[in-house]
Amino acid sequence: MIGRLVWRLLPAAPALVVLAAWFVYWTIVQPPPSVIPSIPDVVRTGIELAIGGRLLGDIVSSMGRLLGGVAVGVATGLIAGFIAGLCRPIATFLNPLVVFFNAISGIVWLPLVIGWLGIGHALATFLIWNTVFFIVFQNTVLGIQLVPEVLEHGVRALGGGRWETIRSVTLPGALPYILSGVRSGLGFGWRALIAAELVGATTGLGQLIFSGSEYHRADIIIFGALLIGAIAMVMDRWLLAPIERRTVVRWGLVATSRGR
Amino acid sequence: MSADKIVVSGFRHFFQSDSGPVQATGQIDLTIREGEVVTLVGPSGCGKTTLLKAIAGFIAPTEGEIRCDGRLVRAPGRDRGVVFQELAILPWRTVRRNIAHGLEIARVAKAERDKTVERLIGLMGLVGFEDRYPHELSGGMRQRVAVARTWAADPDVILMDEPFAAVDAMTRLTLQEELGRLCATTRKTVFFITHSVEEAVFLGDRVLVMTRRPGTIKATLDVPRHGKGGRDWDSFTGDPEMRAISEQVMHLVHAERV
Ligand SMILES: Nc1ncnc2c1ncn2[C@@H]1O[C@H](COP(=O)(O)OP(=O)(O)OP(=O)(O)O)[C@@H](O)[C@H]1O
Ligand SMILES: [Mg+2]
Repeated sequence: MIGRLVWRLLPAAPALVVLAAWFVYWTIVQPPPSVIPSIPDVVRTGIELAIGGRLLGDIVSSMGRLLGGVAVGVATGLIAGFIAGLCRPIATFLNPLVVFFNAISGIVWLPLVIGWLGIGHALATFLIWNTVFFIVFQNTVLGIQLVPEVLEHGVRALGGGRWETIRSVTLPGALPYILSGVRSGLGFGWRALIAAELVGATTGLGQLIFSGSEYHRADIIIFGALLIGAIAMVMDRWLLAPIERRTVVRWGLVATSRGR
Repeated sequence: MSADKIVVSGFRHFFQSDSGPVQATGQIDLTIREGEVVTLVGPSGCGKTTLLKAIAGFIAPTEGEIRCDGRLVRAPGRDRGVVFQELAILPWRTVRRNIAHGLEIARVAKAERDKTVERLIGLMGLVGFEDRYPHELSGGMRQRVAVARTWAADPDVILMDEPFAAVDAMTRLTLQEELGRLCATTRKTVFFITHSVEEAVFLGDRVLVMTRRPGTIKATLDVPRHGKGGRDWDSFTGDPEMRAISEQVMHLVHAERV
């Protein structure tokens, strides 16, 4: 009973450790608030922003951009990944292109893309797509290539055709890697989103942090960072983890808690 | 005399590798008649799996040809079911859905599908595990699912590659008897690879012995199935004729030790 409770609270422990270190450091060193603010300062700032009404709008517009960009990135990454994973010549053709473009971060494209797309939703979507696509693509291709061939043979010996093997073998077999790609994609999507909002938006958490840095408000910056991390954690727990529990974990393809 | 079901003529196979072609089998000629259970023993690496996969249609022979019902084998098909050495059951399907898979592909109506699956689950001793996933089963149960899945699709020919290799001796005895009963009642054509001489004699109407790699068939022994010596271990072990055949096969296999 107590053991279960401890286990459930364990994910919160690192946060407590960090908060404690922060508190101790701040009490001993007393740094200027523009370098490292105190915990109460950050909390107060958070409450002010929330009451001021700006925060909710920023969260909503950031989430909108993020989900839009990630959705496009995941969808195109999956489709291209499946085509490349299932067809060797296409994979051979695409691979150099993927390696080439994957190395070029969205910031490089930024001046050009602002010219093409203007400053707005399309810009953020492009920048997020530019990171998410490659992660999902490469994970999907790898996942498909790692599905044991004998599983496909088994289905073909039952009379299954190409479509049946894709549906009942390739797709579920590649799912652990696909989900892992989506998970990393979401994380890197956040990074791209904030970069996009710094230059190409008037709202959003990126703008909130940017305004904080303009006025040397470390409390706003740290509050923004905490918020992004917290939202990312919540999305992982409530979006991805349940999907994993119902699929790859249920099927015994990955262990949630090895050694327990 | 029943019709020829599978005819392998002039078969030889080479695999391409970085250091040139690897000869997997010597020349093999083999005829399996309809309703016959043919078992194959031979040293590891002699080409047993290669031959089975060629019959199944997964390997295109380098030389020679394979016919099933007179038609050239070019691709796998639902007339030839396969139980692979690696057990190819799908981890993301429950026991029930794995066994039903072939019937789903063949678009068999749900009611009939359920009936067949239910019957095989009973026959294979999987009652109570219908809705479990393979990773929740013991090794022996997984092998039973693999056999049931192939059997459920009701192919004319069943090709089995050491399906009981990974189970303990106790479970194996039961599985062998179950399989023997299935073979006897359904009169399917069965090609069965094994490392165990006893298993080969116990199940086979005919036992083939292969030489070491590149393997050829060096001997064929008929196993008469009359009166005693049927496919249950009590009568099998008590039958001197069966023991004689087993010893004969054992001698042939021993000569091929690698
Ligand atoms: N895909 C492959 N590429 C190259 N060589 C192969 C390949 N598959 C099998 N071989 C070689 O062909 C030979 C025959 O292999 P095969 O799998 O048919 O043996 P086997 O009789 O089934 O052995 P075992 O009893 O150990 O399963 C082996 O020497 C093996 O190394
Ligand atoms: Mg083999």
